[in-house]
Amino acid sequence: MGQIAFGGAMSHVLDPEYYQAACGDLGRQKVTEAMEAIARMGDRLVERKPDALIVVADDHMNAFSFNCVPAFCVRIGKTVQRMMQDNAEAFDKVLEHMATEYMLHEELANHVLEQGMASGFDLALSWEAPIDHAFLSPVNTLLGSRPIPPLVPIFVNAFIAPQPTARRCFQFGQHIARVVAKSPWTVGIIATGGLSHFPELLLSRVGQTDTVFDRKLIYWMERGEHEPLLDLTADELHKTGSHEFLNWMVLLGALTPARAEVRYFGELPRINLAAVEWKLG
Amino acid sequence: MSRYAINSLLYHLKKDPALRARFIENPAAAIADADLTDEERAAFRAGDMRKINELGGYLHLVMSIPKIGTHGGH
Repeated sequence: MGQIAFGGAMSHVLDPEYYQAACGDLGRQKVTEAMEAIARMGDRLVERKPDALIVVADDHMNAFSFNCVPAFCVRIGKTVQRMMQDNAEAFDKVLEHMATEYMLHEELANHVLEQGMASGFDLALSWEAPIDHAFLSPVNTLLGSRPIPPLVPIFVNAFIAPQPTARRCFQFGQHIARVVAKSPWTVGIIATGGLSHFPELLLSRVGQTDTVFDRKLIYWMERGEHEPLLDLTADELHKTGSHEFLNWMVLLGALTPARAEVRYFGELPRINLAAVEWKLG
Repeated sequence: MSRYAINSLLYHLKKDPALRARFIENPAAAIADADLTDEERAAFRAGDMRKINELGGYLHLVMSIPKIGTHGGH
C-alpha cells in the first residue's frame, strides 16, 4: 500500500539575486533564510526515499496561454522540459542555472489522471507543457545537488479567471491521496507559491501584502482545521494576493487532517515568504 | 474574464523575439494589426505597462517581457 511520506509548501521564487533587486539586502537575507529552511525540509524528503514527487503549482502564461487554460492539468509522459525564455528577466531568470530536462513518474501521473477521470474530475492532460519557476525553483532548492525523484507536475489555474474553487482544489487533493494509497509507491507532495503578494494582480499594488490574512491561513493549517479554508472565495484570494493558495488547497486535501508546522515565515514588502511542512504518520 | 487582445499581444512580445525587436524599433508599426481599442493602442505605443496592466494586461507578462517589462517596486 502506498503512502504520502512527505508534504510541504513553499514560496516559489527562491533566488537571492531576484530579492536583492526587488527588496535590497533584506530581501536577500530573508530569501536565503527561507531557502535554508526549505533545504532542510529536503533532507527529510530524501530520508523517506520517495519513489515520486508530486508538485502542485501554477503556470504564469508560459506553458498555457490562449490555446487552453486548464483548471487542473496533469503533466504526463516520460520527461518534462524547463521553460525556455530568451533574455529572461525577473522570475524567469531564476531558471537559467537549472537542468533543462527532468524525469517524470509516468505511472503515478497516469493513475492520477485515469482514476480522476473515472471518479468525476474532468482533468486536462499534457505531454508537452514545460514547467517554469513555480515548479523548478522549489524542487531544486529542496534537493540541491541531490538526485531529483521522478516528478508528477500538476498545474492549477491560479490566475486566469474563472479559477477552480478552493473547495474543488481540496477535493482534487483528496483524490490524489486516494490514488497514492492504492498504489505501491512512497510519494512526496509539495505545493508552491505565495504567500500573499501581488494583490489584485495590479502593478500599482506590487509591494503590498496581507499579513493578517496569511496569519489566518497559517492558524487554520497549524490546527488542521481545513473546513474554513474550503469557503475561501476567488474574490478574497484575488484581493489579498493569495491566488496561489489554490495550490496549497490541493495539498491540504491530500494531507488532511495532518497539521502544518511553519519552518519559515518572513515578511517582505513584495511577498510574505513561507516554508511549511506537515506532520505525517 | 481576461482581456484577450491585450494579453495575446503581451504573450507574443514575450515569446517572439522578432516581434519584440520590431516593437522596440517602432511600436506603432509592430502592433498595427492587433485588435486593440484606441486606449489600449495608445498605452502600447507609450510603453505604459502600468496602464496596460490596468486595462487587463496580465501582471506576470507585464513584469517579464524582456527589455520591455517592468519589474515593479519592492
